[in-house]
Amino acid sequence: MSRVKLFSIAGNNPFPLSSRGFIIFFFLSLPVASQERDLDIGLRFQKSINFYYENGVTAQYSDDRLLSKRLYIGFSYISSRLGTARGSNAVKQDNYLIMGTWIFRPQRMLQPFVRLNTGYFIADYEDPVFDVLPNTSLLVSPEAGLGYKFNFPLKAGISLGYNVITGDGIDGPGTLYPLYVQTSITWNIFAKNETYEKDL
Amino acid sequence: MKKIFRYIFLVLVLAGCSKDPNLTEDMLGGGVIFDPSLYVPGEYMISHAIPDPTPEQALTPVIIASHGYTATTFEWNEFRQFAEGHGVYVSQVLLGGHGGNYDDFKNSTWRDWQSAIILEYNRLLAAGFQNIHLLGSSTSGALYIELLSGNFFNGKLAPGQIMLIDPIVIPSNKSLSMIHIAGPMLGYLETDQTAEEDKFWFRYRPEETLRELQSLINKVRKDLERGLTLPQGTSLKVYKSIKDPTADPVSAVLIKRGIKTYTGGSVEVEMVNSNLHVYTRLELRSHTNADKQNQVDTFNDILQRVKND
Repeated sequence: MSRVKLFSIAGNNPFPLSSRGFIIFFFLSLPVASQERDLDIGLRFQKSINFYYENGVTAQYSDDRLLSKRLYIGFSYISSRLGTARGSNAVKQDNYLIMGTWIFRPQRMLQPFVRLNTGYFIADYEDPVFDVLPNTSLLVSPEAGLGYKFNFPLKAGISLGYNVITGDGIDGPGTLYPLYVQTSITWNIFAKNETYEKDL
Repeated sequence: MKKIFRYIFLVLVLAGCSKDPNLTEDMLGGGVIFDPSLYVPGEYMISHAIPDPTPEQALTPVIIASHGYTATTFEWNEFRQFAEGHGVYVSQVLLGGHGGNYDDFKNSTWRDWQSAIILEYNRLLAAGFQNIHLLGSSTSGALYIELLSGNFFNGKLAPGQIMLIDPIVIPSNKSLSMIHIAGPMLGYLETDQTAEEDKFWFRYRPEETLRELQSLINKVRKDLERGLTLPQGTSLKVYKSIKDPTADPVSAVLIKRGIKTYTGGSVEVEMVNSNLHVYTRLELRSHTNADKQNQVDTFNDILQRVKND
């Protein structure tokens, strides 16, 4: 599959080195002058209904300029390699997501949110006989859920998501399922201790 | 707020309503048309036709051919006709719950569907047949794999060949994965098929059976993830239509990854250039010369595998 080979650094990473560099550069170059900014970094666990567990990492950023910290922008990488396919015969597949999240009640501990993800999906069938089948797709998925901000820099969230684009094995990869539940646990690495002490 | 509760109540009432399809006497399930194997099992099943085989008959290959979800023995009629005169027996099994009344189908479980395969296999063994093979389309592929994971063949004569035509592990329509959530609101799903096909396939698919189908393929998928090994002396081949609109072609990926031969080798997969589901059944279907060639090639391959076993 020529489409796969285009991204063949380490066999399965769809981002050329320059793109990966851009993502790292993006987070490092976030403004440091702002007083109130969050960079939540952590883990994302996802289960498609009646299909795989796909787990990975997530990061999202916000500051006062992003609509008073109601809007978060971020990136996630989740894979069945870190879920169902770990130590099993399940198909190895990767999801690269760019996320925009709108937080309701940002000053409260319990924070409902809506999110829109977009990104790229690739499955590795690991056998040339299946090269005739589609294995990549664009990802678009709205999510709605509930987050909880602790008295220290930890946040937890759970949401229900829906992949608008799914695969039927003819026009898209057959292992891309519609409905999923995701949970994430993140740590705000820009947190200042006094902020949380003040909240107590 | 009252308005919202009123709408929620309305949705709940509608969801709870009985949704019976409009069955007619011209359809399978309408109470008039039944699968012929129910009347004359001896014309379809070898265990009924030859209950006491001669030594020569006992060594003749018997191919148990079973059909897909909602289908009947009709699905393998063309193969039985093709195989005539080739020195094999074809035993057409009607899956449990299929081929009769709609309510019987609605109340059946995938274990019921599978029980007909088990019954025929055991009857053939008891009669003394020693050269048995399995040929299954679509859901029967999943049912055969479940027999492997359930160690059904342990301690008994295992089949020589297992041949799966468009087996389903992953459905093309991913909405099936949500059937446990949406099912009670649906009641049943109507299939787009011709009036002639209505005589051999249930036109209406009760949500209860769709849930059974989802449970079966979910179990089989997990069994394949854990890994299965074929019995000693058994071979398996998957024939998969590349553009199958019903059983996602990726099903073949999961089967190839999930099943190994007794010696640890890979099972065979042939990706067939077709856009038909169960491409071996062409009767009552518009088809091209290429479709006919695919059918003939596969039938010949099946016969060759069975006779060389």
